[in-house]
Amino acid sequence: MLKKKNRNRNDTPLIDVQSVSFSYDAKHTGRALNRVSFFVTRGERIAILGHNGSGKSTLVKILGGLQSPTEGKCLIKGNDIQTMNFRELRGTIGMVFQDPENQIVAAMVEDDVAFAPENQGLPSNEIQERVASSIERVNMTHKRDSAVYALSGGEKQRVALAGALAAKVECLILDEATAMLDPKGRIDVENALRELHSEGMTIIQVTHQIEADNFDDIQRVIVLSHGQIIWEGSTSEFWNNAEGLGFKIPDELKAHKYFAEHNINFPDDLAYIKPKTLTHFHRDNTTEKFRIENLSFMYDEMNSYVLRNINAKIYGGEWLSVIGRTGSGKSTLIQHLNALYKVQEGKIYFDGTEIPQKGEEVHSLRQKVGLVFQHPEDQLFSPTVRDELAFAPKNAGFKNHELNDAILYGLECVSLPRDFLKRNPIALSGGERRLVAIASVLSAKPDCIVLDEPLAGLDASYQKKLLFMLSKLRNEGKTVITISHDLNMALNFSDRILMLGDGTVIQEGTPHEVLEGIMNTLEPEAWPDVLRLSSEIRKVNKNFPLLYNYEDFISLIS
Amino acid sequence: MNFANVTLGQYIPTGSFIHRLDPRAKFFSLMFIVTALFPAHNVLELGIWIVILFALVRASKISWPSLLRSAKPVMFLVIFTFAFNIISMSFTNSFYNALSHALFMSSRLFILMLFAIMLPLTTAALELADGLDALLHPLERFKFPVHECSMMIAMALRFIPLLMQETDKIIRAQLSRGARLDQGNIFKRAMAFIPVLIPLFVIIFRRADEIAVAMEARGYNGGEGRTRRKPLAWKFKDTCAVVLSAIISGVLVFII
Repeated sequence: MLKKKNRNRNDTPLIDVQSVSFSYDAKHTGRALNRVSFFVTRGERIAILGHNGSGKSTLVKILGGLQSPTEGKCLIKGNDIQTMNFRELRGTIGMVFQDPENQIVAAMVEDDVAFAPENQGLPSNEIQERVASSIERVNMTHKRDSAVYALSGGEKQRVALAGALAAKVECLILDEATAMLDPKGRIDVENALRELHSEGMTIIQVTHQIEADNFDDIQRVIVLSHGQIIWEGSTSEFWNNAEGLGFKIPDELKAHKYFAEHNINFPDDLAYIKPKTLTHFHRDNTTEKFRIENLSFMYDEMNSYVLRNINAKIYGGEWLSVIGRTGSGKSTLIQHLNALYKVQEGKIYFDGTEIPQKGEEVHSLRQKVGLVFQHPEDQLFSPTVRDELAFAPKNAGFKNHELNDAILYGLECVSLPRDFLKRNPIALSGGERRLVAIASVLSAKPDCIVLDEPLAGLDASYQKKLLFMLSKLRNEGKTVITISHDLNMALNFSDRILMLGDGTVIQEGTPHEVLEGIMNTLEPEAWPDVLRLSSEIRKVNKNFPLLYNYEDFISLIS
Repeated sequence: MNFANVTLGQYIPTGSFIHRLDPRAKFFSLMFIVTALFPAHNVLELGIWIVILFALVRASKISWPSLLRSAKPVMFLVIFTFAFNIISMSFTNSFYNALSHALFMSSRLFILMLFAIMLPLTTAALELADGLDALLHPLERFKFPVHECSMMIAMALRFIPLLMQETDKIIRAQLSRGARLDQGNIFKRAMAFIPVLIPLFVIIFRRADEIAVAMEARGYNGGEGRTRRKPLAWKFKDTCAVVLSAIISGVLVFII
């Protein structure tokens, strides 16, 4: 039977997953995967979607032969992955993981790409050939002699992609491979994938959200939830069901569906539409929380400024988003707000007085201005959630019932139930850990909370929770400051936006006021969908306003 | 306090003549230099070594600031040597003698370290591992895991800057939560670092695990059957480099 299958090579699916189950404990009580079956044919591009904790990482490891299933079988070209020759397996399946730093083994681009063919024991001229062609396939030839540390996130991830290709694999498995990248990096990786797929590469993309820029290239979607496949179908069918399955639909897709339903020929039919005037909600900003005057900063060892002559105001009770490309100085700027970086040139005022640079006053400033770093869950260290939440208020001098109040306040802010206090932070899910980490800063009862990429790596349901939580804090009078690459969040949720570029302020104002700045500095792929659509219409209809909100957009054209 | 910029022997690619030497040749040369520099006992000898160091740095095209920055983490050893010598000598000698002796000892150590640091600065981590692998190969007969050890050293070097960045980030995060890392007695300070150390270890273990998985996914299965894109090839210039450093070292030890 097997022999017959092998003879007709193209009839055998490339990957055939047969009722695979997996559990991390020996008693098989909680199953990370439960009877998962599907197959992948050659040249297909599929997405396996699942929220945090759906079992998708386990599935990735099993597909890559890095983990054995407790039950069931996984066949690669008809051979059981368990008994398959190691070199043959590694020459068939290539993998790219989330964090580029954790997959790059060498200091130089070419040396790193050579790693897989070196492991295959190839002669050096063939290795050289494969290295050159793999680097070219991901459009990195111009950086082939570079050191890896000098590359951007997107470039590193393309090196990782080339590193997998160099093994001459037939199938690529990507585990959240674009999740840590900025929009530019994601677009570059996405373009490389698209090209590889058009050349016949089989691609399996495991992710918690299909990004707007790749949905038309993905042919089939499998949705995983609690270790089981709950939905399977073509990409277009998927979008009809996405909301019910708990996934966001990109605005652009929603809009095109709307056009189709209403027989609108985009953008020509909208050329003569007379837009109604939209009323913009305007907050009265009166109290000044921070005033930044002529702030400049450079790191000790470098000779160029990271921040140059920054002037900005942050008002009490507003939500301010700081946006800009990677390396524009966003993180450096916000770390000045609680004196983690000392002011070198210029001045920063907090509540009217200059912020302290040393001594006990710094501690009281840090109690008032809470700062949540990117991936704050990595900074948890206590045995219980209670201890974790007690750390900041204790440092701020809270005692006895005050301390207890503070702990409960922190927990309440992130809407976690009280029985969490006894739990061990390490044992929580990724999303819960993020909430605990944010609560551990809020428990010091700060006036102002600053968050660096609060939504990064979270699935749709936790993103919603966090956005709700931040809006609530703002409505209660706290000043909220966020840094984000997520322009949809910045435009739709915050009151004002500060846009940085190369260490200077490009624009400061309400979401509507900064739209032009966004268009002038970022590539169109990185714009919010609605902004891109409305600028398309503007090309044929000068009166059409620039928009970012989907509901506003639909109400204008209907 | 800024850990993010601690470099500790990170490869600086300049493509110089020194960079292109066989790592084994660099190992041998360093061995000669260290053995000759260690017993150096007069200022003239030290002066000649300094001149050689300047020539070497020139040839490697590595800038002095980046070399000194790499040497920063080992500076405390130099300072310690200085302090130790000045204290121990001042019991029996005049202060001036003690001072000049301490200065000599610490600067000798400093020069020695700069020479040693030139090796990882001019040799990429994997190449260094290949060199070590080849040099220690005879030990394999005694069941010593040569390949594993050299790979481990290479990986450790590769991930030092990353872990420094992580440390820096965690320190900043805990400072934001009001941690008092620089107050109180030594015991208190050590305890204050627990909120930094625990997350750091968690991150190190997680990264180590992910790296291991990623390496396996790229077909790494130990040293057996592994080939190289650029196999180590001993060339005439390598012989020259080793012979040259042997002659210089010999002259300095036996003649001056």
